[in-house]
Amino acid sequence: MPPPPHVLRGRGDRLQNQPAPALSVVGVDPAAASLDDLTGSGAALLVFVSEECPTSAMALRNLGPLCRGWAAAGLTAAAVFEDPLDVAIRVARRLGWAGRVLSQPPPYQASRAYGLVTVPTTVLVGRARTLEATVVGWDQPRLAALIERAGAILGTALAAPPGTEPLCKPGCSSKAAIDPEVAAAISRRTFDDEMEEMFERGWTDGLPVVPPTTERVEAMLGGADGSESLGLVPPSMGEATLERVAACAVLAGCRPEYFPVVAAASRAVLDPAFNLHGQAVTTQPAGQLVVVNGPVRRAIGLNSGMGALGPGFRANMTIGRAVRLLATLCGGAAPGALDRATLGQMGKIGFCVAEDEETSPWEPLHAERGFEPGQSIVTVIGCDAPLNISDHRSRTPEDLAYVLAWAAASAWSTNWWPLAEPSVFVICPEHAAMFRDAGWGKQRLREFMFDAVHKPAGELRRGETTPLVHAADPAAEIPKWAAPEAIVLLVAGGEAGRYSAVLGPCTGMGSQIVSVEVESG
Amino acid sequence: MTSQYVSPFDERVMAPEPLAPRPAAIEGRTVALLDISKNRGAEFLDRVETRLQAAGAVTMRRAKDIFSKPAALALIDEITGRADLVVEALAD
Repeated sequence: MPPPPHVLRGRGDRLQNQPAPALSVVGVDPAAASLDDLTGSGAALLVFVSEECPTSAMALRNLGPLCRGWAAAGLTAAAVFEDPLDVAIRVARRLGWAGRVLSQPPPYQASRAYGLVTVPTTVLVGRARTLEATVVGWDQPRLAALIERAGAILGTALAAPPGTEPLCKPGCSSKAAIDPEVAAAISRRTFDDEMEEMFERGWTDGLPVVPPTTERVEAMLGGADGSESLGLVPPSMGEATLERVAACAVLAGCRPEYFPVVAAASRAVLDPAFNLHGQAVTTQPAGQLVVVNGPVRRAIGLNSGMGALGPGFRANMTIGRAVRLLATLCGGAAPGALDRATLGQMGKIGFCVAEDEETSPWEPLHAERGFEPGQSIVTVIGCDAPLNISDHRSRTPEDLAYVLAWAAASAWSTNWWPLAEPSVFVICPEHAAMFRDAGWGKQRLREFMFDAVHKPAGELRRGETTPLVHAADPAAEIPKWAAPEAIVLLVAGGEAGRYSAVLGPCTGMGSQIVSVEVESG
Repeated sequence: MTSQYVSPFDERVMAPEPLAPRPAAIEGRTVALLDISKNRGAEFLDRVETRLQAAGAVTMRRAKDIFSKPAALALIDEITGRADLVVEALAD
């Protein structure tokens, strides 16, 4: 089939059948930004677009789903944005563009080289990098003819753009057609409200954030090397440079003095033993509880007293949030995208608790885990939301321990016994005092709670339960936890009120508790 | 106000990954059946394997150690080296 006649219109026509100009653009993969690469499979389709242009958006939305089929046939489609790369990638993803994504900074040399006055402009580059056809604006009949021409070059039929209304729509002015200084000014978005710009960029967990200006990020880093890598953040495996961690801390609202704790918590969740990958993408509601011990608690104003699990204290609220933003933004675990949580829970916004070591009658969590009491330690635990446990009536430690333990009997699921993963009990000061007065240590309480909660296997064979329950003799007693060590005990909360809480586990992940020392700034 | 921001994103991992070309037929192709080790995934793959073999495909069964972690690199290398296609049983 001979190629159809030229379908061109606009300034690009002047370049018809001439060698295609070089592309001065950037892409995620530098090698993919050259014309040689784009035409390597046969032909290339360059779609020049701009974020601000509604017709560009329409073109990307209409052509995007066809890119994979075209690529399989030898036509590589690339959206060439007149916008920064991060904007380009976000817009392409939002609009379902499945081809390559390229970006050009002011003064838009690629657009100038191709003679653009309008975006979108679609350019077909054939074998030997020859300009074959150009279509200006959204013009479905002409684009269909252009794709037919591409098919003729490749010797195969290619899917045509959808013939949905409107078939034709004028485009917007290319930034290359404007004075360079004016274009540069346009490219710097002038939002009236930069808080709204953060939403527009997708740099949020759904709440307003603090814009991560270079000045704020530098202050957050406090002179630390921002290029230092803490590792890859699953599930998308974005690299957690210290600079990106600091950007997340700024977004979350942290003060610079919190940053060593944020950095330590980030290191902890990135430890493979924690399995952030599983926690980030699961349908479970798992959040990442950040427990802080040691002198740093008081130094940065972490609350471990009244309302210890609730709002009101900047350090608690923002440190946990910074860790979550790292997973959500740098790691790509955005809810509804790679985060597949069925319900989620509010602790996934951020959950940071400081242990009240001064009130606790016991050794603090970090000392249990082998650190010196004077060290500042962050411990991360995959957790469900807290369940309140009211007990104002127990008069013996045995009764109180029984009530606390049985409150967790339905943790994870009613009949899923035993739990191998940790349940975290946050014991309030009044409850802790009862155990202190009775001379109960942590281990005694833990073992009593472990021994208190068990049921015959036959009573647990209903709905979701464990293989162990199914295999056991119906009369065999099954404990709620696989071992006493699965019961984690912390002390925190206000001095009045007998309310403790239990946080159920994140199960099935092989996720372990991880502790990391806070580096002094 | 114009400001320069530090992006929390790693743009290198944000670009869409194109799907591999789909074959026109599966006869004679080697299909890896990957069980991620979730409950009853193997039963699902049993049925898929029967149908693939009836269609002329050669099958190979493999399993991840645990469903909640990425597959081991050695397993990925083996599958990409030996199989033309992959069917993954994701969830119960």
